[in-house]
Amino acid sequence: MAPVDAVARPFFSSPVSMNRLRPPGAVPEDVFAGKCIRCGRCVEVCPYHSIVPLDARAGVYAGTPLIFAEQIPCYLCMKCVQVCPTGTLRNITQDETRMGLAVIEKYSCITWRGEALCRTCYNVCPFKEKAIHLDQLRPVVDERHCTGCGLCTHGCPITVSPGKKAINVKPLFAQARVKW
Amino acid sequence: MGLSRREFLKRTAALTAASYVGLELPFTLHKEASAADVDKWVRGSCRLCGVGCRLDLGVKNGRGVALRGVPESRTNLGYLCMKGMLFYKVMGHPERLTKPLYREKKDQPFKEISWDEALDIAAKKFAGAVTAYGNDSVAYYGSGQALTEETYIFQKVMRGGLKTNNVEGNPRLCMASAVGGYLTSFGADEPIGSYADIEKAHCFFIIGSNMAEAHPVIFRRLMRRKLDNPDKVKVINVDPRVSPTSRIADMHMQFKPGTDLAILNAMAYVIINEKLYDEKFINDYAVFRMGKEKKQVDFAAYKKFLEDYTPEKAAAICGGNITPEKIRTAAHWFAKSPATMSLWTMGINQRKRGVWANNLIHNLHILTGQLLKPGADSFSLTGQPNACGGVREGGGLCHILPGHRLVKIEKLRNQVEEAWGIPKGRIPPKPGYHTVAMFEAINAGKIKAIWINCTSPAQSLPNADKYRKGMSREDCFIVVTDIFPTKTTELANLVLPTAFHFEKTGVYGCTERRSQLTPKAIDPPKGAKPEVWIVREWALRLAKELNDPVIKQCVAPFIGKEEGYELPKAIWDEYSQKLTKNRDNDLRGATYEVLKSMPDGVQWPAPTEAFAKTGGTVKKFVRGIDPLADKEAKDDKPYQFYGPAHKDRKLWIWLRPYKGPAEAPDAEYPFYLSTGRIIDHWHTTSMTGRIPELMRANPYAYVEVNPADAKRLGIKPGDMVEVESRRGKNVLPAKVYEGPIEGMVFVYWHDMHEDRMINRVTKDAYDPGSKEPEFKICACRIKRVSGPKPLKPYIVT
Repeated sequence: MAPVDAVARPFFSSPVSMNRLRPPGAVPEDVFAGKCIRCGRCVEVCPYHSIVPLDARAGVYAGTPLIFAEQIPCYLCMKCVQVCPTGTLRNITQDETRMGLAVIEKYSCITWRGEALCRTCYNVCPFKEKAIHLDQLRPVVDERHCTGCGLCTHGCPITVSPGKKAINVKPLFAQARVKW
Repeated sequence: MGLSRREFLKRTAALTAASYVGLELPFTLHKEASAADVDKWVRGSCRLCGVGCRLDLGVKNGRGVALRGVPESRTNLGYLCMKGMLFYKVMGHPERLTKPLYREKKDQPFKEISWDEALDIAAKKFAGAVTAYGNDSVAYYGSGQALTEETYIFQKVMRGGLKTNNVEGNPRLCMASAVGGYLTSFGADEPIGSYADIEKAHCFFIIGSNMAEAHPVIFRRLMRRKLDNPDKVKVINVDPRVSPTSRIADMHMQFKPGTDLAILNAMAYVIINEKLYDEKFINDYAVFRMGKEKKQVDFAAYKKFLEDYTPEKAAAICGGNITPEKIRTAAHWFAKSPATMSLWTMGINQRKRGVWANNLIHNLHILTGQLLKPGADSFSLTGQPNACGGVREGGGLCHILPGHRLVKIEKLRNQVEEAWGIPKGRIPPKPGYHTVAMFEAINAGKIKAIWINCTSPAQSLPNADKYRKGMSREDCFIVVTDIFPTKTTELANLVLPTAFHFEKTGVYGCTERRSQLTPKAIDPPKGAKPEVWIVREWALRLAKELNDPVIKQCVAPFIGKEEGYELPKAIWDEYSQKLTKNRDNDLRGATYEVLKSMPDGVQWPAPTEAFAKTGGTVKKFVRGIDPLADKEAKDDKPYQFYGPAHKDRKLWIWLRPYKGPAEAPDAEYPFYLSTGRIIDHWHTTSMTGRIPELMRANPYAYVEVNPADAKRLGIKPGDMVEVESRRGKNVLPAKVYEGPIEGMVFVYWHDMHEDRMINRVTKDAYDPGSKEPEFKICACRIKRVSGPKPLKPYIVT
């Protein structure tokens, strides 16, 4: 079940926020709740239990799928996009996925602070060297390749505050507006 | 399927706020490390890799709570990696062993017994084996992570007390070829230079080493040197796999695994034929030798030998991206730079011809005179924190005695016997079993009792299944001393819980001949004991069992000493004052008092305390820097090679032909398999696997597949892939990545899960000289078995 912070929101406000992501291929958040029929197939098919169905506290978003990236990230197996019956999750490939963009907090990252040598985010990245590369042993994200899967967030050993790591996924693309 | 339909409906329909059990880590590293609210900081060195970082342990209420780097240290300059910053979490871990465990038969469950019973059983079993089957039916298998005092006292009891040279250790699996290389090329073991050369070098030749992951803190120094002088400093990386180390390289030479001997000879060819060599240096200090009988040959013969290795011929052998031009450029950079430093690790050592590969690197340095001057060195990086200090210097291998003495030389044996005060001839003249032979002897039922200390051969031996079968024999009594359950304790009869780093006192000797003291800072968990205490008590019981006063004599100087500090100090004093005296690793100046007063440690040779307090010898063999070079000088040349192995006091340039790996790919097994270490984990993960931050960063091993191969075989990122050799198979998730060269796969070796333990697949062929197994190359085949699967990290509990 969804952690408390995801649902302590006003009735109509979207649960999508930092490290709270829609599964791969999701249509913009603007239309997501209208398009998704809460069938739960994506939740059911996800082998990693990454996708969580929201409960009643999510208001009109109850039943829609959400990924809590720092807890269980998306491993990009792309099973969910194949079963979505409505096209709310479009059938896209791994490298087309844009669940968000990983952003490094340079004041929290232990490598950027120069205190120790960590490159967990680089090591766990499924598009290593493309989405995250090392510049002078410090990780740098490339927005052209980052899928926003959250593996880096999950792996990051630094917890800045509950739900927040030194590298976080910001769901930038979910904010796109849809023209009617 | 992740969630059953019924369960899903139940959840959504009920719409209740069930609490989510996540893996929250309310943990902030930097806050904890800089916390001022610790009671005291105790200075020691890092428990993990061979770099030898100095660090402070923060102690609060008698518990270790934080670690921080020591800025004044000449090894790490205050910097640490994540492993080094987090290993304090091992100390108070709930899974620590605290009671001796015993079982009569290996299929029974363990039962807890007292220390008295445990030591009695260990003594009875070893004594029984010696009486019934002879002295060579018992063995000790130690570790490059045991403290020097521990290795020393174990081997003393085995050799002096039990009259067997069956003393081995896991450094055979990582360092033996480097030892062979140094001895045959320079006449003395261990590097000539230091880390300090990094800041003075102008060309780095990194071959067979992923130091960015395996020695991250040293790599950082090297990277700084390069980035601060991007035009002045060249970096050549020679590796069949593009690794994180390759990222700073000006030139990456990618070749078919196992063909690097041809590259090195081809570079020598270019150096000779384009007159890049240092003629005066060669005439003054070097001779050419070849073959088993070490026949001396002349320069012309060497030149003729190299005719087979023109850059064109070598490029044809090596494949990959190697072109004759590349070899020429590399040779020019190497020879012409003001100072060239080579660095290598297991890619060179863990090979069928590891010693030869080492020799060929040394050759390049001798030919070009890139040796002994500031910034120039042929520098082998050590994997483990005390492989150099404890095992290579302390006599932890079957053919060597403490102080770099060879077992087979009677005079040296007698020196040791005299120092120990035991009868002459007590130490047998024949070297014992080397590692692979030792475990083969267990398979054959020749070893009836073995003591395995601080290592997990059940996971770290190549072709592990073969040797695990032998270790599970009922007629081989196995004692394991460790802090956690491991794959090896699963095969043991008797498991003895030991104290961890900072819970006991002792010395580690790192890569650059530097000995560093780690004092006891906290108490071990109740019930765990330091190894030195265990050995002393065991030896006293053995003496009684076998009615042999000489065994008692071996531990007599240590009876009654307090085990936390006084006992290791007495052992260190005996070792350093009596056994390193007048040897090339003279440590007489490095007493506990001196070591404690230094922010880092002391580099040997350090014959006097006054000299040791300056930090010791930064560069061996150089008059004015190395006190032994002055003392042993036979002429007025600036360099004096007094190493014990070369009577002619020369450097030897070896004519070593190209030889491929023991098992090359064929139609049935078309891929090369190579293995390596990852930054987050240490060896078999018995420690780092229990640190949640590190386990999250890297929960399990995976196989790296080149995108071209992946495409051909239909493997997508995350797919489960079966890696199979003639010996065994693994099923691991795939990482598709431009790392390994096409036709090669790469697997990290730390994972304990049976499906992902890659040493079940690797080959146990070994170097005929160093007896080090060829972990790095074998043939395998891969196939996709399924799509991605959720995996759980695996830890023995």
